[in-house]
Amino acid sequence: MRVFLFVALSSGLVVVAAGTGWTSAQDQSSRIFVNVVLVQLNVAVTDRNGNYITGLRPENFAISEDKIQEKIASFEEGGAPEGGIRAATEASGGSASSSSAEASGNEATRSDAGPAPESGGQPGNEVVGGGAAPPPVSRLAGASVFVLFDTSDYMYRGFVFAQDAIAGFVRSMEDANKIAFYSYSRNLSRATLLTADRSQVMRGVRSTVAGDEAALYNCLLLTVRDAAQLRGRKAIVVFSNGPDNASSVPPEDVEELAQSTGTIIYIISTRLAHEEPVSSAVFERMSKGTGGKAYFAKDWRDESTAFASIREDLAHLYTISYYPKLNPNRGWRTITVKLVGKDLEKYHVRTRDGYRLQEQVPAATQTAAGQAAGTDPQ
Amino acid sequence: MKLSCRPRAPFLACVLCLSACFSVSGRLHAETSRAAASAATQMVTIPGPLRSFLRMAGISQEATQEEVLPLLARTVSMLGYEGGAETEYLVLLRRYVQFAQELRQLADAQNTIHADSCEEAARLVDVLGYQFEGTCGEKTAYLVTSNAGRAFLTIDSGFPLTGLEEALEKHTPFAYSFPATQVPVLFRAKDWTAASVWRPKGETTVVDVLLHDQELDRLYWALSKNDEETRLALHQWRGLRPLLPLATALEFYGSQVSVRSGRVLVPGGRDAEKGWEELVGASPSSPGEFVDHLCGRDRGWLAAYYDALSLVSREQQVRLTEGSRLKQLYDVYKRAGNGASATKGVFPRNGDLLLLFNRLQWQPDGTLYIPGGLGVWKEILSQSYSPKLVRDWVKNARSWDSSDQLLMSLVASACFSTDRGPVQIYLALSGIDSARPAEARLSEGTVRLLAGKYSQLGSWYLVFSEFPALNDASITQFVNAAEGVTGISNPVLRSNALGALEANIGLWEILARQQEIPNRAMNTSWQDAVQPFIGISSSERLFDATRSSLRSILAGASGEGNLSQDQIIELLAGPAQQSEAGRRAHEEIAERMRSVLDDQRLVSLDTLFALHDGLDEMSHGAAVKDQLIPLAASLREFEMPRAIFTSGEKAAWAPAIYTSRHAELQVRTDLAKVIESGSSAQLEAARGQLTPFLRDTLVGLNYAYYEPPGAQVLHNNPLFVRSHDFSGTSILGYGEIWDSPELVGIGVTAGGGAYLIGSLANLPYALATAEEDFIAPENVQALIWQATGPTLLVDAIQPRWWDVSSTELHAATLYQRTGEELLMDATGNAELRGRVADILSDRMTPRRMEMTEQALLHPADAAAFMPQITPAEKFYLASEYRRLYPAEAAAWGSASQELDGLSRSSPSEVSAARVSKDFGVPHPILEQTNSCAILNVKPLPAYSGEAYGLVGESFESSNLYWARLADEMGYSPVTLNLLIPELSRHMIAKIFATDIEDWPAILRAMEQTGEEFRQGGIHVAAAATISQH
Repeated sequence: MRVFLFVALSSGLVVVAAGTGWTSAQDQSSRIFVNVVLVQLNVAVTDRNGNYITGLRPENFAISEDKIQEKIASFEEGGAPEGGIRAATEASGGSASSSSAEASGNEATRSDAGPAPESGGQPGNEVVGGGAAPPPVSRLAGASVFVLFDTSDYMYRGFVFAQDAIAGFVRSMEDANKIAFYSYSRNLSRATLLTADRSQVMRGVRSTVAGDEAALYNCLLLTVRDAAQLRGRKAIVVFSNGPDNASSVPPEDVEELAQSTGTIIYIISTRLAHEEPVSSAVFERMSKGTGGKAYFAKDWRDESTAFASIREDLAHLYTISYYPKLNPNRGWRTITVKLVGKDLEKYHVRTRDGYRLQEQVPAATQTAAGQAAGTDPQ
Repeated sequence: MKLSCRPRAPFLACVLCLSACFSVSGRLHAETSRAAASAATQMVTIPGPLRSFLRMAGISQEATQEEVLPLLARTVSMLGYEGGAETEYLVLLRRYVQFAQELRQLADAQNTIHADSCEEAARLVDVLGYQFEGTCGEKTAYLVTSNAGRAFLTIDSGFPLTGLEEALEKHTPFAYSFPATQVPVLFRAKDWTAASVWRPKGETTVVDVLLHDQELDRLYWALSKNDEETRLALHQWRGLRPLLPLATALEFYGSQVSVRSGRVLVPGGRDAEKGWEELVGASPSSPGEFVDHLCGRDRGWLAAYYDALSLVSREQQVRLTEGSRLKQLYDVYKRAGNGASATKGVFPRNGDLLLLFNRLQWQPDGTLYIPGGLGVWKEILSQSYSPKLVRDWVKNARSWDSSDQLLMSLVASACFSTDRGPVQIYLALSGIDSARPAEARLSEGTVRLLAGKYSQLGSWYLVFSEFPALNDASITQFVNAAEGVTGISNPVLRSNALGALEANIGLWEILARQQEIPNRAMNTSWQDAVQPFIGISSSERLFDATRSSLRSILAGASGEGNLSQDQIIELLAGPAQQSEAGRRAHEEIAERMRSVLDDQRLVSLDTLFALHDGLDEMSHGAAVKDQLIPLAASLREFEMPRAIFTSGEKAAWAPAIYTSRHAELQVRTDLAKVIESGSSAQLEAARGQLTPFLRDTLVGLNYAYYEPPGAQVLHNNPLFVRSHDFSGTSILGYGEIWDSPELVGIGVTAGGGAYLIGSLANLPYALATAEEDFIAPENVQALIWQATGPTLLVDAIQPRWWDVSSTELHAATLYQRTGEELLMDATGNAELRGRVADILSDRMTPRRMEMTEQALLHPADAAAFMPQITPAEKFYLASEYRRLYPAEAAAWGSASQELDGLSRSSPSEVSAARVSKDFGVPHPILEQTNSCAILNVKPLPAYSGEAYGLVGESFESSNLYWARLADEMGYSPVTLNLLIPELSRHMIAKIFATDIEDWPAILRAMEQTGEEFRQGGIHVAAAATISQH
């Protein structure tokens, strides 16, 4: 029996709908397609200057999948303490509620008051409708971050500086839940599996060796597969100068997998990447398509802006989930997220723009991937 | 420094044995020499810890101290120079040596570097190329690069920078042991420094000269591959310096030279000594002079010839050296070399000669067996694919009546680098004939036909060697069908026809290999499968032909031609199983195949056939529109991946590669309109539009069956199957459409992903090549070695174990255990030791033979050495001993007794031939067949061209080892179908090799995997579930 799952999801697998519309020929097959569980979105909301808009409530978000309006099942604002998520349907009066708002003492009036006056602040600044920002120390709680470092020949000249940059990034992510450190050239090396022990991660960073061809998209695919096993916010941060001369999978497939598994991809690069336009184009488009960003600093010693931005991004994501309504589409499903409420339309929403049904990972592979990701396969 | 796995420079083959007349007295002599030499073993110093040096030198961390200098010499010689200039690798390694000496000065008398405070750390941090950002000792302080060159060495050599950083932050003492490393050197250190042409001012060390003198590196590496007595004989001849001009010849071809008791053991044994003396111009009893002449004459060709002869079996050596043959063959070989050098290039030049010598078959009257007879070979050798030299010989020959004339022509041809010459034709045709009974050998006409078509269809001849039941008519029909399809002028139709025909043949092979198509039905089902493809003129006809062909194949295997896709998958997954374990294993395999088909988003055969039949019925007036519309809609479920690039960008960034026209055509196929309102003719034509879908699903079934473990491309690139370029349209000028497929489009970011171009011949290898890089090595510097990795994967996925009994599985264990018993008992029994050594010398290099003999002198040494004896060697030892000394078959321990008892009760299941067939591996290069066997060959080196894969092919031990593991852990034989691919994947991830010929690294990885599996560290879920039942 074949079972298809939305892999990008979290706990509480619930069968929603059996596949429909199968023909007699298809009925001959013993396969059963089952649409199940939750779709989870990580959503960043910013103003035109890149300031994060916080304090929004579930009713401020309208989500549709293939133009089918979806009902929010759970809602969490970045920075909520672990376990702070609440099912939207459990909120009083049947309306969704923001657990983070409750946690921070902010009231639901925030969105009514117009949550995000433009401040003209620097990108990455936080703009809130009222009340104090949650303590930064808990902002990244629950986030799992995979660092993927290009150690190919292309990085040879800047290798030690890039490594310093990654060390700096790891230090800057002190309050992230867990970090994994992988490196790649032609093959992937899982130097440090997902761990809360920063020292272990740093040892992994400093254990890398340089050289050989670059198979970024192959190795990114494997990293996405590892991340796919996890719950909650998960992001991959790639450090690369760009060129790929050894991958057999194209970036399109990697992007689709990341989108379908709810994995955000950030790419930290240097202006050297612009020397090969195909790489910089992929970096920008792939990261955007997964809800992340690409950064091109002057050199590896100048990445502090990127680190701050990623950190802020992860800290300010709204995590929204829904159970998809009956949808016969077995191909690409387009997700649209809009803001609803007074003056909210002017803000920018960034999240993945869809997903494709993912096949359930076979048991043996799941175990291997789970081990690689440092998780217990469920 | 991580090393590239692609070979860049010459290196010497892993060694093989010759030992034609290996005597006990010779061994004793060798032991005496060894003892003397060992007493004088000198050590040299490598600055800094061994781990750091190995990292910088690109040497496996698993290398022993004895291996360090030889591997250093080899790696520097191979990677240190390019176009006469030093590479970055070598520059860094030299810098590291200085860096390590500098660091060493910071260590105390106990060789420990301390930094107990920021003040103490300042100098260290500076030497390391770092500086503090912030104030040292504060929590916010950390190290950043201040000197990129030094920092690179710090990191690349594995200095514990994080530990230093943390110690300073926490105000705890930092201590790092930084001892210099002592490693043994061949002969004396000053022998090497004195021999080197690199002479700087001041004192030099062996490490210094190895880092500066490429010829010396080659010589060091070459001599390290010889056994000790041989090495000493060469050294004592005239010292090292005179050997330097011979370094490359020794590196390529010298490892088989073996001196025992003061004589060179020449191929062919004592009887051949005179011939060799004449050829070489020196007596084998003067080893130094003999080797000097051997390597110094004829620009390396004589050494190449000697080496190839040394690598083949003793029987073959005797044949090839008897009478005047030794000299005659060399004369033509040398003439064909025509003044070129046999020591130029990356690889040894004698690969084809080795394959030819290995493959030759002899008739009872001592003449060479010739497929098709001598006459037809005169024609073959006169064709344009023969070297001109050979063509002229044949043309000018006064007579053509001796098989030795053919042999000489082939030997001459072996000198020319080609994949399509007379040697390759001979190897293929004799490979086909070798599995056939005398009365069913290829006819002269078929030989002529196959030889003529070899350049086009040669890759497919492995089918005929694997299935000897296929007769001349079947072969001829295949050639006719292939020619017909190749000649189709419409490129789209040709591509679809090629794919469909090859896919169906592929399915036939799977079912025949699994014995689901019985021998008696092979010709009928084959001919019925191939015949419909003759005379294809339209897509509609191609659909009908493909379906008819498929039906014949299925009927041949199951008695029923009209099976649903699920039933076809069940059939392909393996023969129906009676046991619960068998059923579960079978279902698991079937499920995996479905998973690939789903991820490739291929349209079900059921849908295609239902649509096809419905359209046909509609065109004849039937009202089935309502049933067909949903089916037509399902064709459109396939979507192209969401585009990242615009068409313009693709054209600009991947101009030569981008090719998904076939898939895009499918996306545009909309039969609904035709079904709604098409005319009868349009409905008829619409059936043809289903042909590309049918092709893809059939091709997909082949891909799915051969899915390598851990595959990612098959599951993540939905265009992979559809993109298979059968007619070579995506590469301008590509003409090898029937060749084994190649993976193209790698690393072309805007190209839509890699895909295969060429035919489906050798598909398992191509898929393994596509997927091997997704295996993540477990060791930091380890890489998946190309060619070896895919070969090991093919060994795991192509054979299946549905018909293996528990007795056969247990027999695999008993043979290996019996081999171990013989080895252990040999330690206390000189006569047995002599026999054991004599048997193993067939499979071992002189150097390994020497190590084995040394280990067999003491039980503790033998036990410690046991893991270095491969399972195939143990199997060979046990089976040969039982054959040679049947009266002693049960004399050596519990395993030999049990094996003997079992062989009496189940002689067929327990025979060595059966175990070889069950747990052997395919040898498509060496034996020209995909049939499984343990050939008992010596470990072979890498050559150029197709012989590149000989390293992996000659490692025959993996399946034998997994079988024993499964047997000892209580798994049933059917679970091998699940266990072996998964364990092989883990094994490949654990390979920590220094170079492609480092087959002991494969052995280590295999044993590490086995141990981890025993300890529960590797969990193969499906097999475990079955086992629990």
